Amino acid sequence: MILEILSVGLIISACLALFLDEAVYSVAALAGTFLFTALLYVLNGAVFVAIFQFAVGVGTLAILFLSGEMLSDKPTKKTSLKSTAALIGVGVVLSLPAIFISVSGVASSGADVTFGDALWNLNGLDVVLQGLVILMVAVGTAIVLYQKRSGGK
Amino acid sequence: MDFVILSIVMLSIGIYGLLTKRHLLKVFISIELIAIGATFNFVTLASAMGKGLGEAFLILAFSTDTAVSAVILALLVIVSKKYGTSDVSEILKIAEEKGETEAEI
Repeated sequence: MILEILSVGLIISACLALFLDEAVYSVAALAGTFLFTALLYVLNGAVFVAIFQFAVGVGTLAILFLSGEMLSDKPTKKTSLKSTAALIGVGVVLSLPAIFISVSGVASSGADVTFGDALWNLNGLDVVLQGLVILMVAVGTAIVLYQKRSGGK
Repeated sequence: MDFVILSIVMLSIGIYGLLTKRHLLKVFISIELIAIGATFNFVTLASAMGKGLGEAFLILAFSTDTAVSAVILALLVIVSKKYGTSDVSEILKIAEEKGETEAEI
């Protein structure tokens, strides 16, 4: 039952994040989307992924979104209560297929690999380090772009 | 309750927003929703090949997702500062008035 409630909340918060006119409310709805996603990861048994989702998603990205929102222009019109209720209704309708329809054929192969084995024995650590390198490249690109913006023009 | 259909719905919402929204922040949110749908599908299907391996690969997915977000946010700030707006159509209109091509934006 709690899985269904969380999935409905996930779809509703995603719809609100996309269709609300005020940027602050939209960012708050996106933070809710991250939160629901992390809770669904926990209930799905992926605790490590949920921790990463909390750390990266809710923490870093929310701050990045808010800083980006402060630098963007403000919308003139505001979302009415009626359209917000309509968005929630659309979210509930969109989440119904996930609750009542089931896709069969995804079966477990029985390959029970633990998280430690995947990191150390199956070269998962290499992949994680590659991800860190890509992250450093992105941070460097962002710093270069920032210096170019503040230094020139 | 099926997580595959849930991830497909999230992917559809993100693609719809990417195609219809003109505000740069909404385009950014759409990309994030697409990323959430993809990683959600990854978590679901990870049980078919062993949860540990799937989770290890998901850490890479989160790293690249964060990197993409950082780059997009930097570009969003630069473009909105340069043109004074975050609307894609208005940015293109201003750039046309200045005589800039899309590659120069």
